[in-house]
Amino acid sequence: MPARNHSQWMAKPPLADDEWIDSRIYSDQEIFEDEQEKIFKHVWVPVCHESELPKAYDFRTTSIAGEPVIICRGPDDEVRAFLNVCPHRGMLIERRPSGSFLEGQPSGNPKRITCMFHAWQFDMKGNCVYVAREKEGYQDRFCKEQAGLRRLRCEVKFGGFVWVNLDDKPSVSLEDWAGAPFECLRKTLDEEPLEIFHYHKAVIDTNYKLWHDTNSEFYHDFMHYHNRVTGFNDAYFARNNEAFPHGHVVVGTFEVNYENYEGFESRGELSFPHLPPNQWYMIDLFPGFNFNLRGSALRCDTVTPLGPDKVMIEFRGLGLKSDTEEERITRINHHNSIWGPFGRNLHEDLIGVAGQGTTMRPGTEERRILHGRQENQTIHDENGMRHYYEEWGRWVDRSPSQPDQAYSVRQGVAAAE
Amino acid sequence: MSWIKVCKTDDVPENSVKKFWAGGGTIPLVIARHKNGYRAMPPVCPHMEEPLDVSGVVAGCVLTCTKHLWAWNLETLELQGEAEKPLKTYDVKIEGEDVMAFISEELVYEFDDEDDMDDDDFFNS
Repeated sequence: MPARNHSQWMAKPPLADDEWIDSRIYSDQEIFEDEQEKIFKHVWVPVCHESELPKAYDFRTTSIAGEPVIICRGPDDEVRAFLNVCPHRGMLIERRPSGSFLEGQPSGNPKRITCMFHAWQFDMKGNCVYVAREKEGYQDRFCKEQAGLRRLRCEVKFGGFVWVNLDDKPSVSLEDWAGAPFECLRKTLDEEPLEIFHYHKAVIDTNYKLWHDTNSEFYHDFMHYHNRVTGFNDAYFARNNEAFPHGHVVVGTFEVNYENYEGFESRGELSFPHLPPNQWYMIDLFPGFNFNLRGSALRCDTVTPLGPDKVMIEFRGLGLKSDTEEERITRINHHNSIWGPFGRNLHEDLIGVAGQGTTMRPGTEERRILHGRQENQTIHDENGMRHYYEEWGRWVDRSPSQPDQAYSVRQGVAAAE
Repeated sequence: MSWIKVCKTDDVPENSVKKFWAGGGTIPLVIARHKNGYRAMPPVCPHMEEPLDVSGVVAGCVLTCTKHLWAWNLETLELQGEAEKPLKTYDVKIEGEDVMAFISEELVYEFDDEDDMDDDDFFNS
């Protein structure tokens, strides 16, 4: 096709409504705020792995939909989550990214979560246990029994990941939310405890959904020289993208020929329980969480949207807690050589989404983003993305291709057409 | 057990609190030296387990835990300031240059157990 003039460029693509989207869903501030409010405040988010809080009184802090969250392990070994917000004056209670409450701090006692502002204190169950000069200031009008932390729903599940939901009454349980897509790896991940060996994060000037898109389609393996060499065999093209309820997708397994790539070796000797060697699995969870198992290493990506054009992605690498030192070194080598942060693939993916982010800054003209490949739901089919955006449309009630229109209305129009 | 040597008198200057291990390194305790003598006690504040060798300040005869201003008169063991619980102490005597404490068993404070509120209905109530 020759180059196009403006009106040709802006014309609707000759594809079905669910085979393309309007790029404003990646760049519009109002849509971003809708997503925070309507999606991220109601979904189960894997905030970390339980091995990141191995001992009683260990904690981590994070945020979901802009709300500060603290996760800690109690003396009873339970992992609990709370808003990291003091009920007194709204102070951020804990400022460190992670640590332990076991020892005292300059502004806090041992075994307590302390707000340094006015020394209010909380235990690992979120009970308020101390209000400084309580009786003098509140007499009998208010007391610590009325000043507990806001506790959040929190479960340790699917290989020891810690899942938090800001919604006290989520529309589905965690089991019903993600049990089906995790079924393919459940025996493998739950056979024995996993342990984190890698963590890094990247703040990228792009929309979080573009990252998830990249994890959901493999047509972009043309960007990954390594994948083309080690992966493009018959089994590669035979894999299916399988859609699951709630917008999740699982990409079927296949055997990777690592020895086809110079400097790489087969990963046959080190795997996970119940898995044949050199296998590859991917689970993409709506709205932006990804679990990728490559034979010897498990990777988990979680997105935290920071704005329409800014996302923080956390990358974790995991092996088995029972690994010998040698096994652990092998897993780390395998993890880092592909993913990194400076492995074969990860930075290439980041170049892809950063490039998209560059063309879709807030205020740029809308673009038509195509995901209309139909290949019997195999690996270069874009059905995974279509499945995702159907779910997305329902949650924010906007049509992905015409985001000014309500999803429900758009569905009616499509049916009438 | 019985009278146990904890430290030398010079190890604890006046108006200070030092931590030691007695009983072959099994029993932690602090020696607080005030204007008129020495006191031996568990190494934490009875309020919130704050280490007294870190946060305890002695002035004259008064020991204050600076975290939440619980205080006691070390001579009379009277409660002062915000204190709501008494100190537990080991008897002390000075023999020559040695500070001796009478320890029959380790003294510990009872701290409140965390309430159990993990019922299934928590998020639905």
